[in-house]
Amino acid sequence: MATARPGWSRRAQYGLFFSFIAVIAGIIVGLILLTLSLVAPEQFQRVRGAALDVTSPITSGLHEVTATVEGLFTGAGDYWNAANQNAELKRERQAMLRRMVEARAIFQENRQLKAVLNLREHERSTIAIGRVVGSSFNSPRRFAILSAGTSDGVRIGMPVRSPDGLIGRIIDVGAIASRVLLVSDRANIVPARLLRNGIPVIAQGRGDGTIDVRPLEVGRNPFKRGDIIITSGTGGLYPPLVPIGRVVKLDDDGAVALPLADPANISFAIVEPAFEPAAVAAETSVAAEAR
Amino acid sequence: MVRAALTPTRRIGQAPWRYAAYVPAVTVVLAALLSALPIISASGWYPDFGYLVFIGWRLLRADPWPAWWAAPLGFVNDLFTGYPLGFSVALWSATMLALDLIDRRTMWRDYRTEWVLAAVLIAIDEWMQWRIAKLVDGAPPLAQMAPPLVISICVFPLFAWIISRIDAWRLGR
Repeated sequence: MATARPGWSRRAQYGLFFSFIAVIAGIIVGLILLTLSLVAPEQFQRVRGAALDVTSPITSGLHEVTATVEGLFTGAGDYWNAANQNAELKRERQAMLRRMVEARAIFQENRQLKAVLNLREHERSTIAIGRVVGSSFNSPRRFAILSAGTSDGVRIGMPVRSPDGLIGRIIDVGAIASRVLLVSDRANIVPARLLRNGIPVIAQGRGDGTIDVRPLEVGRNPFKRGDIIITSGTGGLYPPLVPIGRVVKLDDDGAVALPLADPANISFAIVEPAFEPAAVAAETSVAAEAR
Repeated sequence: MVRAALTPTRRIGQAPWRYAAYVPAVTVVLAALLSALPIISASGWYPDFGYLVFIGWRLLRADPWPAWWAAPLGFVNDLFTGYPLGFSVALWSATMLALDLIDRRTMWRDYRTEWVLAAVLIAIDEWMQWRIAKLVDGAPPLAQMAPPLVISICVFPLFAWIISRIDAWRLGR
């Protein structure tokens, strides 16, 4: 197909012509697939899931290796200043114990108050626990690969969190792996509020590992550096009271926050059922559009 | 001098490897599989390995694979990297077509023109990725696409070198 003129051979000329036709057909097929995957992504869920399953053993296996090597180094580092660390941890533990007693009292009081108000209590349950084993490191989008799939009960639209905070939600699912739309992706918008005073805000990823937070009501900038942003549960997709990020920088009408759950450093990710089951049906189409 | 140049350097048993025709396509698939590496990055600054190897082969040789293979190779890349399906299919086929048209025009080439050509193709790739992310409101500001672009363009010569080594190996030279 490369030579400008294949000579006088009729056969070679036809070959050149047909390879041009084939390439143009390739472009057209590609464009049709692209349009379909942007407009109706649920068409390709099976294929994408299968591809996730194919690469997942490689990713998980290599992840074990890197985690072990990293663990050896941090382990050696911990031995290095064990005495200092021990003293510090003891001090922290004392402080934590006091805080925990307070928290337990508040929790009990809270439960009594809720009972008085007849509020519906949501049972916080866990669908699956997996590891974050990979990410979309060569794309402007922010996805992560999670080592849990449909065989563990994971479905599209379920929120994913770590003990530290919110990670994102499931958008592709295979049998043994799934793809997570991280909170730092620009297409991920989380209804949230400030922990300090409960002011409702909107958290949206910035695509570079940070999150943009804006107040719902226009007016004075309510943020301070060090503020914790938590989910509000509005919309029914994410459960309420899950920490999202900490404000690190203010700008004119909002702030920039760092996610509390850094996907690179968390050991386990917990998949939870969608907070309001009714929202799931709507979410499948939203998650599809977010691709 | 002349005599030395005329003596055949070819030794008995030295020939292209039996599966030499499939080596380029296999390396492209392997490069696409690199996105299965357990790298957890907060920014998408790594190059599109599959595309780098693809244009590396195509710039080295006019016929590393039949032209229509670009579509299935692109499909494999889309599956493994998580790009919207069809993105690489269309882009890679269009790349084959564009490079064939360019081949008809250019009289000669050297390393620098190839690098510039590769840089333009990589820039188109990154810009298309950004444009498609924009369609679903998932795109960062355009300025954030500069680091991955610069990184990709800088590592292209390395990929081109590796590909030339693989090419020499598969042809038994």
